[in-house]
Amino acid sequence: MDLKNTTVASLRKMLDSKEIGAAELAKEFIGEIKDKDSKVLSYITVTEENALSAAEKAQAVIDGGKATALTGIPLAIKDNICTDGVKTTCSSKMLEDFVPPYNATVIEKLNAENYVMLGKTSMDEFAMGGSNQTSAFAKTKNPYNTECVPGGSSGGSAAAVSAGLCAAALGSDTGGSIRQPASFCGVTGLKPTYGRVSRYGLVAFASSLDQIGPIARTAEDCGIILNAVAGVDAHDATSKNVPFTDFNGKIGESLKGMKIALPKEFYSDAVDEEVKNAVMAAAKEYEKMGAELVDCSISSLKYAVPAYYLIASAEAASNLSRYDGIKYGLRGEGRSFEEMIRDSRSRGFGEEVKRRILLGNYALSSGYYDAYYRKALALKQEIIKEYNDVFEKADVILTPTAPSVAYKIGAQDNDPVKMYTADICTVTVNIASLPAINTTCGYDKNGMPIGMSIVGKRFDEATLIQTADAFEKTFSPVRCTL
Amino acid sequence: MARLYPTIGLEIHAELLTKSKVFCTCSAEFGGDPNSRCCPVCSGLPGTLPILNHTAVEYIVKAGYTMNCEISRFTKWDRKNYFYPDLPKAYQISQMPRPVCLNGHVDIKTSEGDKRIRINRIHLEEDAGKLVHDDYSKATLADYNRCGIPLIEIVTEPDFHSAEEVMAFIEKIRLLLKYAEVCDCKMEQGSLRCDVNISLAEKDAEKLGTRAEIKNLNSVKAVGRAIEYEIYRQTEILEAGGEVVQETRRFSDSTGETSTLRSKEDAHDYRYFPDPDIPPIIFTEEELEAIRESLPEMAEDRKNRYMNDYGFKEIDADTLIADKDICDFFENALKVYNNPKTVLNFMLGEFMRRINLGEMSMDNLEVTPEQVANLVKYGDTDKINKNNYKNIFKEMLETGKTPEAICDENDYWVKEDNDLLEKVIGEIIANNPGPVEQYRAGEQKVFGFFMGQANKALKGQATPNAIREMLEKKLKG
Amino acid sequence: MDIKTLDHLCGLSKLNYTEEEQEKVIAQMSDIINLMDTIKDFDISYDDTKDKNEIAYDDLRKDEAMPSFAAEKLQQNTNPRDNCYVVPKMME
Repeated sequence: MDLKNTTVASLRKMLDSKEIGAAELAKEFIGEIKDKDSKVLSYITVTEENALSAAEKAQAVIDGGKATALTGIPLAIKDNICTDGVKTTCSSKMLEDFVPPYNATVIEKLNAENYVMLGKTSMDEFAMGGSNQTSAFAKTKNPYNTECVPGGSSGGSAAAVSAGLCAAALGSDTGGSIRQPASFCGVTGLKPTYGRVSRYGLVAFASSLDQIGPIARTAEDCGIILNAVAGVDAHDATSKNVPFTDFNGKIGESLKGMKIALPKEFYSDAVDEEVKNAVMAAAKEYEKMGAELVDCSISSLKYAVPAYYLIASAEAASNLSRYDGIKYGLRGEGRSFEEMIRDSRSRGFGEEVKRRILLGNYALSSGYYDAYYRKALALKQEIIKEYNDVFEKADVILTPTAPSVAYKIGAQDNDPVKMYTADICTVTVNIASLPAINTTCGYDKNGMPIGMSIVGKRFDEATLIQTADAFEKTFSPVRCTL
Repeated sequence: MARLYPTIGLEIHAELLTKSKVFCTCSAEFGGDPNSRCCPVCSGLPGTLPILNHTAVEYIVKAGYTMNCEISRFTKWDRKNYFYPDLPKAYQISQMPRPVCLNGHVDIKTSEGDKRIRINRIHLEEDAGKLVHDDYSKATLADYNRCGIPLIEIVTEPDFHSAEEVMAFIEKIRLLLKYAEVCDCKMEQGSLRCDVNISLAEKDAEKLGTRAEIKNLNSVKAVGRAIEYEIYRQTEILEAGGEVVQETRRFSDSTGETSTLRSKEDAHDYRYFPDPDIPPIIFTEEELEAIRESLPEMAEDRKNRYMNDYGFKEIDADTLIADKDICDFFENALKVYNNPKTVLNFMLGEFMRRINLGEMSMDNLEVTPEQVANLVKYGDTDKINKNNYKNIFKEMLETGKTPEAICDENDYWVKEDNDLLEKVIGEIIANNPGPVEQYRAGEQKVFGFFMGQANKALKGQATPNAIREMLEKKLKG
Repeated sequence: MDIKTLDHLCGLSKLNYTEEEQEKVIAQMSDIINLMDTIKDFDISYDDTKDKNEIAYDDLRKDEAMPSFAAEKLQQNTNPRDNCYVVPKMME
């Protein structure tokens, strides 16, 4: 079976027509993980036994004629989403042995559909990074070229989808952590509107920016998963009650008359020529479909990276304060509380996480708050305003997902500033709480995938899926050869 | 050196009487086995999120109205970041720039007359857990049951200048919060706590002196003692030409002294910032009006009603309202038997006497307002002799039995039986020829002796009036 | 950034660095803060009432107590004593 080209939609048909059994399907993926994951290192934990028993249960549901969209579908879950009884490490030594006593809301929702969890995927430590190289455990590699990074922080999820080691996966996106690895690994990733999916059970990085979303092989598959996990949640006060019926409901509708905005700042010299060319070619493709391209500007983009890092790091410094070694997590040594907590945190956190904690506390500390954190909040308002203005005259926005394709492992080591500025194309979407989808729009001269991002109005994921799907239907993906 | 003059401000913490905690659905009751009233949210597990309790917000608004505060139409929550093992998230959810209540005032009575104390703000936050220090294992044990109990912090302006004023204020706050039914105000259990900021300076000095903050005050009396001590301590320092150090001090109930807890150098940089997990909330005018209207009758209003409608003396009304539980008991008794004066007399007499003796407590009461109402009614309507109140009430407290059952068992009911009365009094007169002679010789005071004898013999089976009539008739011969 | 600032931030963050690490971290943090400083050019003030993310008072959670969690499950990632979390002895 060609697992790399099998979509969730096609698996549904195969399972419902009994062309394949749920257990057989799960075993096929587990076999593939055993064969290939040593080269990609996308998983931290493979839950083989759980997967097989879940598959059996799913089969009974299918046999009973009660199957829903994800019944029996094997998915991978990013390792910062809490799973009751299954280790959730956030790729950190701090949480190396942490077993949550409860399920994230998205897991409860997937369980209600009788999905099959294959395992937990690697990520940048506490989702801080864009390469998966800050993981304390599996430093995931790009399935197209294992000398390159898979992107991050949902690099494990993206690589697993790309390499055919799961049907689809859940990731999380705080500043591009779904879209950028999806771009690097040549798959489709959707960052929903802030508030569309419950964050309950997602180990917090930056609470005002974090959002869980799907990574899959097609936009349609992303819609199928979003249908299952979206919705207001009594456990998350920031989740919103915006009703939906089917995020795939607009698939196939004509793009005629659709206005696609191209903000000029996203096509600057900071973005590689090959990337720009591929995205512009896709834009031309949309024109052919009847869409209209619109020029526009997001002038605050030049301040976006510092604004993002100040907000995200301030929230992270506070969110990560709970790791003190007392209730869970790595417990350090020391005769006093102070000694013990410092030892726990110094040994438990990696370098990048520590830098962000320092930065966050710097931005919040007495005397600096107004100059940094408060200014960042003001910028957030300005960025929202600029996006609102663009959406007055356009339906969606088209940008590159990253300034470059996947780079060599080690290329950004010890250069945090370079790493941070590489997030320029994705962070404003989180700051403005918008939905965005990445899909592959080409390959560079070395065959590495190039991704484009379609950004939509708040809670208009259906239009993003429609737009991405329209392009995907004209595009022949080249899957990795792993 | 001119006389030094103390300036005092207060921070009062009060736990709210909600059913569930402020950010999760765990029970907000006091106590419980360690960590038995906890969940992933209040234990600070990764991935969990706070969900604000509607009633906690309603209660702080109520508290604000009782203290004449402005209620912010837009209010939000912030994180106060600091590491301490009783704080599982390492931040306390509190309010900094947008508290629910602002700019209030409370009037108090002092020996020098009425005085207005300004309230700077009241905000809603979560309580922390409890630490137990285990000497044997050289460890500290943390129990999170109290984590997330809703807490309001009332911050006053530095408007106090004596321990007396502060104590009167705390008593007043206690009445306001109890009558608003938002806090049970048990200082000894920690549901009401008070921190005192105190500094000394010459009267009318332009600048206040350096202040010390005193914590660990678990009774109104302790607050008074700590202030008196601190005034003494700071006066000694200043008069000797020294300087008061800005610091946090703790009061010891056993020594009556304060001592350094931490100095200003250890002062925290709390790095407050808006909590991204909790959206700000907005009130409509209608919502606020509905909350204001739902406030129960406050102590002051009850007092006025008692004086105007029932004709109670001010001192009696004050005594009755001073403890809301007793006052509520009185109100409920009136619902069964609407005779305010006689019920009041019983409450101020027999009822309060037993409380003051420590024989009963409002926390676990064996008697119901209905039973007390009936008891008073029987006395008023000559169904029983009022002299038996004491015996009956004592037995009610001890056995939990109804007054009816006790009267049945002890034959306390007044009999309509003139023969019995005549017979018993006849015997008393026959057995006491001496006093009879005295009475007939004009010594009226021996009448009391006969009343006593008759009461004793009749065990209250006749009313005093009936006894008196019969005695007068028989003694005349 | 200098060593004094780093020490202060380590106090707030409860982190330790060895002496050789300190030098590297100070250099990296200085670069990062230079990047952050670029927002100082942006002249704008912040009004927190304009975030438009409020919810209505009436939409808050109704006050109902639900059963709590079993302590042993809540504490499965630590070694409690008498159902309490164990901390090195606190100085009072």
